Amino acid sequence: MIEWLRVNWLSIAVPVLVFFGVFFISLWLRRIVYSALERWLKERRAEIGKIAISITKNPFLHWLLILGLYIALQVSVLAPQWKSLGGKILASIFIAYFGWILIRLSREFIYLYLNKAKAPDRAIIATTSITQVTIIVVGVLILLELWGAPMAPILIAVVAAIVVAILVLRDVFPGMLFSFQLTQGRQIKSGDFIRLESGEEGYVEEITWRNTQIKTLDGNTIIIPNTKLVKTTIINYGKPVKITTEPFRFSTRLHLKELTGLKASNLSQLVSRLKEVPDAVIYYHTHSFLEEYQFLTPEPANDFALWVKEALGYEILAERLASIDTFEFPTIGALRQRIIGVIQDFLAGVTNEREAPQDNEFHFIKSIDVVLPTPYVAHDLQEFIDILRKISINSLYFHIFEAKLRLQRGTNDFSIWLEDCLGEKELAEQVARLDPYNYTLENLRETVIQLCKEKL
Amino acid sequence: MRRASAKASKVNIRDYEPIVGRSYIEELRMLADKLSGKTMQNINSTFVGGGVAEILSHLVPLLNQLGIDTRWRIITGETQFFEVTKKFHNALHGKIEHISDNDFALFLETTEKNLSDLDFPGDILFIHDPQPAALISKKKDIGGKWIWRCHIDISHPDSKVWQFLKQYIVNYDAVVFSSPNFVQELPIRQFFAPPSIDPLSDKNKELLPESIDAILAKYGLTRDKPMILQVSRFDRLKDPLGVIQAFELVKKNFACQLVLAGGTASDDPESQEVLEEVRERARGNPDIHILSMPPESDIDIDALQTAATIIMQKSLREGFALTITEALWKAKPVVASAVGGIPLQIRNKFTGLLCHSVEGAAYALRQLLSNPDYGHWLGHNGREHVRQHFLITREIKDYLLMVLALERNEDIIYL
Repeated sequence: MIEWLRVNWLSIAVPVLVFFGVFFISLWLRRIVYSALERWLKERRAEIGKIAISITKNPFLHWLLILGLYIALQVSVLAPQWKSLGGKILASIFIAYFGWILIRLSREFIYLYLNKAKAPDRAIIATTSITQVTIIVVGVLILLELWGAPMAPILIAVVAAIVVAILVLRDVFPGMLFSFQLTQGRQIKSGDFIRLESGEEGYVEEITWRNTQIKTLDGNTIIIPNTKLVKTTIINYGKPVKITTEPFRFSTRLHLKELTGLKASNLSQLVSRLKEVPDAVIYYHTHSFLEEYQFLTPEPANDFALWVKEALGYEILAERLASIDTFEFPTIGALRQRIIGVIQDFLAGVTNEREAPQDNEFHFIKSIDVVLPTPYVAHDLQEFIDILRKISINSLYFHIFEAKLRLQRGTNDFSIWLEDCLGEKELAEQVARLDPYNYTLENLRETVIQLCKEKL
Repeated sequence: MRRASAKASKVNIRDYEPIVGRSYIEELRMLADKLSGKTMQNINSTFVGGGVAEILSHLVPLLNQLGIDTRWRIITGETQFFEVTKKFHNALHGKIEHISDNDFALFLETTEKNLSDLDFPGDILFIHDPQPAALISKKKDIGGKWIWRCHIDISHPDSKVWQFLKQYIVNYDAVVFSSPNFVQELPIRQFFAPPSIDPLSDKNKELLPESIDAILAKYGLTRDKPMILQVSRFDRLKDPLGVIQAFELVKKNFACQLVLAGGTASDDPESQEVLEEVRERARGNPDIHILSMPPESDIDIDALQTAATIIMQKSLREGFALTITEALWKAKPVVASAVGGIPLQIRNKFTGLLCHSVEGAAYALRQLLSNPDYGHWLGHNGREHVRQHFLITREIKDYLLMVLALERNEDIIYL
């Protein structure tokens, strides 16, 4: 025996060394790979990864042992038929072991995801069973192939079984798949406020394995099949938005210029007319320039200032009139008194009044407003922003300029709604503090939107 | 009386959305809905030539698309009738004209004839300019709201003609003027609504450079020198001779060319005479081009305006001057007289340059020829000003608002 070992020690030592070499190198590789995997999973908190590691870590060691044995066998001096037999046995052990681990993994994954998707127990059991049977069948087929058994009748039987399974579960699988897609893609989750392309909107209550339930603002529940949900455009507003006690109904205002027939050719006549004309005239002449040139750099001038400068040549008075801050005044009456006061103060120092050249008289014009309701209604701040982007500048003008001064609401309509109906006091004050006379209308729109977005 | 042919408009109201914004068109629809079921009748004196016919040819189909049954008819008359109305037109502009009792009698006789011929039902009747103004006699028979739409400058009308017309005007429900300066002492409501242009018409759409060059070649024009252009009817009130004088002053220092392009209208028998005077005055100057164009030359006019360096409108009297609106829409620097409704479009040194004399016009031309960037800036401002206030969509809005305002006598009307 000793003699035999002395003669053949190399034939034994080589396979043993190869076995241990392969085993230790694989062990080292396993350590590096699993450490990296664990670090990666720690950062992402992926539950599925943790399960996979805990289930495969030890079996992986056993697979390496089998691999080492297989390679050692192949480098040994055994006869080829023994090598082949040994190889098949090792391969069969590996396939059986791998299949068993695969069954454990699939069972854990299915429980994890179908529970999240709120699938019923029977669906979980059915899915688990089908997966296990599929793995076993595939494993057996591979083993039979390995040991040289006839495959054709077995394959036909397997394909037939798969077709039957697909037909039976054709309605169930797409929904499950989509619920998986929705939850795992983190596109929507319970509690999100969403709006669908078709107009339905509300809070996501539950995402089950077949459908998603949405609670609308008026308390109804909409049940949408997941198969439909993944095919439509969804706006996800994320965290719940504050719902208003009363929606904001946007109106718009179109105006017509009516000639009063009154005119002035000097300052005395201007003051006299200013005392008698209706508020609609004062409003027109303090806002027409802003409307006419709203697309360019704002110039908060009023028509009176322009006329005294261009027609009468009173530069100082023009400057005083132009510097009247319309935003300060709560009523047109108060604004009128200030304009009259400024002109009268100036007139006190004038000895010879200038007359406007022919065709340069001041013509008093009245603004006739027609106020129309629009189809736009905002129920929350996000909707308010969306609508603000698309309303006309006439609508914006109405709710900001007209509401405060002409309709004497104290401030603009937006601030009133934000505070009274949405409880957004701070935002309401920020919007109310904006001096609209120092913005172009488009800039004003953007500024209000920006303030609202910051709040969101 | 003839009615407008039922030629379908190729333009859809939706086509204006990219120009004025979708919300603007939405608002027009909302407004029109409030007047659905009503019939709007428009009556003037010509289907072709001049600003009124041009506005109506675009306005009528669009109002119909908005759901308002809108019709357009013209009154008919002999040449003598239009000679009298031309005198009225000039007199209302302040020009001294000899108008005899026979002229007034002829005016009334033709009106009577049209009244007996016509059948023009309508809930709202817009009567345009003085020619059909006396049709108001029919109001007691057919009812409805009657609005006299005055497109001309009547800031200094001849008293005799105005008093004659006024006895009819006071029976209207309202009048509409193109400028606040035209306001009169009347016991009825007076609205201010400037006219407008159609950005999608042949006269205003964008042309390819090759098309422009081909059209210029057709008239023997080249782009080798800056082009100063005035487009207007050959009418003394447009002061074509003054334009030539201003050009001659500028020509001393700048290589440039002048194009006076215009046509004649069937209701203006004087225009041929003026055209001959202008040709005579320009004779011998190869840089002055006088182009007499037929009414259907919209694309040619578009090409000329697009190719022009500076556009002039040196009118002595002017209702509004839509040629200025067209020029501004093409972002061209404009030099124009500060008369009539022109200052509504040209805010001096902001959307163009205003002048009061031949010398003033020449000075403004020199400024623009020496400073092209300044001209571009004025042109850009002018285009935005037109977009906001002088496009046909705004005029449609004003027409609809006027009807609503006549139904409710309030300063703020909630619908």
